[in-house]
Amino acid sequence: MIREVARPWAVGVVWIFWKREVLRYLRDRSQAFGGVSRTVLWLLILGYGLGASFRDIEGYTYSQYVFPGVMVLNVLFAGLQSAIVLVWDREVGLLRAVLVSPAPMLAVALGKLLGGATVALIQGSIPLLFAPLVGVSLSLKGLLLAWLIVFTLGIMVTGFGVVLASRMRNFEGFGSISNGVIQPLYFLSGSIFPLKGVVGGVGFLDIPEALRAELERLGIHTIGGGWVVELPLWLKALVYANPISYALDLLRYVTLGYAQLPLGLSLGVMLLCFVLTSLGASWAMGQMRKG
Amino acid sequence: MVAIRCAGLSRRFGSLVAVAGLDLEVEEGEFFALLGPNGAGKTTTLYMLITLLSPSEGEAYVLGRHVVREAEAVRRSIGIVFQDPVLDERLTAWENLEVYAFLYGLPLKVIRGAILEALAWASLEEAAHRPVRTFSGGMKRRLELARALMHKPRLLFLDEPSLGLDPQGRRQLWEKVQALRQEGLTVFLTTHYLLEAEAADRVGILDRGRLVALGSPKELKRRVLGQEEGSLEEVFLALTGRGLRDEEVSPKERFLSYRKRGGEHSR
Repeated sequence: MIREVARPWAVGVVWIFWKREVLRYLRDRSQAFGGVSRTVLWLLILGYGLGASFRDIEGYTYSQYVFPGVMVLNVLFAGLQSAIVLVWDREVGLLRAVLVSPAPMLAVALGKLLGGATVALIQGSIPLLFAPLVGVSLSLKGLLLAWLIVFTLGIMVTGFGVVLASRMRNFEGFGSISNGVIQPLYFLSGSIFPLKGVVGGVGFLDIPEALRAELERLGIHTIGGGWVVELPLWLKALVYANPISYALDLLRYVTLGYAQLPLGLSLGVMLLCFVLTSLGASWAMGQMRKG
Repeated sequence: MVAIRCAGLSRRFGSLVAVAGLDLEVEEGEFFALLGPNGAGKTTTLYMLITLLSPSEGEAYVLGRHVVREAEAVRRSIGIVFQDPVLDERLTAWENLEVYAFLYGLPLKVIRGAILEALAWASLEEAAHRPVRTFSGGMKRRLELARALMHKPRLLFLDEPSLGLDPQGRRQLWEKVQALRQEGLTVFLTTHYLLEAEAADRVGILDRGRLVALGSPKELKRRVLGQEEGSLEEVFLALTGRGLRDEEVSPKERFLSYRKRGGEHSR
């Protein structure tokens, strides 16, 4: 398989499939609209709405807290949307023409992943336009690192989507993907609530001793004047099991400057998932030729 | 030279035998039509020849190359027009042809020329930069045929190419195919439209995975009807019976109806 790709025209195949993904995105305004509307809903409406009663998380407003999460949400949508088109492509689209051509499938897969990640990069950058509004400021270095993470995550999500799409025989709409895959991955990534965080600064110490003990049993502790909330164990387990949590935490670190998980662990998980999803997607696309 | 050779070619799907021990030879330069009722195994046979399905038993050679062991060489030398378009509807005619040129590894220097030539051949120069979703059925077919010929294949497979075309579109398509035959291209056709098969050099009739008749349209009429008058349709019905062949709706048809209803992300 490797030797096939080494041939010069395989590069052309990668290029043309990258171009196809980007062109398809540019021709479909609804996708960009979705990216903007999601950003406005989560960052501004939910951000300011919940922010009014939430005060802050680790010193960040709620809008700021969800900021990296909204970038990730847009990447999830873009990557899976790029990948899920394969289901259509196989039954009523271009894919059969690809399968009966001599083009190496690994090159096709690579073009697909890079194209999906490019679209994810554009969609994932939409929240950056709103950054001044919610008071997130990024240095040039921070911006470049954020883009690197978003692009890598784009490849991961597209790759995961390609594997998913290759197993799907029936498909009645994107709704099932949105509700069944994107939203669980998003909600369980620490995007909208902290794993453990100081919420608000109202005097914990002013509360009667008995009530304080009661709160501690519920997982609410105190550090200084703040309230530290711990998630229930089952929820915590789900968040830790979700690879998106680690990519999001890295993104949170470069955009906001704080992390909830050990950086080394996040980097390791991300690298591992990147390799696994790329290999998985290449394998899945190669399998499509074996009828 | 023999363009297609099948020896004991079979394909099973679970317990269903779609194609059972097919022996067939098609000469180079020949126009061969494979006929049969729904579910007879036409598409399965075609898919094995174009390397999309692997045979359960038996062997097939296309232009002297083994369809499994030398699949890539087979793919390089054949052109295919599928039952329904395999175009990207969001892309323009030009962009679709460009994708195809890269898939077949045409040298960068010739790609532009090849696209222009294909567009001219399909009389689509004016529509070159319009998205394919704005095309009529006939325009899409012409584009598909031009696309399938871009890499100068020696053998052209046509799978129900007239499906969904109006009489004008169908006539145009067949004029194009006839012109190609003049140039010596081998054509392998599967179809329901028996009138189209009348023009074939030889016809094979497939029923329940087996070849029940093989010969020129004239020969078949003489053998089955006892005279050279009459139509292939009479031959076909005499051989395969008049019972209706209902198939379960395929995922593809479900997809198409979903798309017709305007399902999200279906283009």
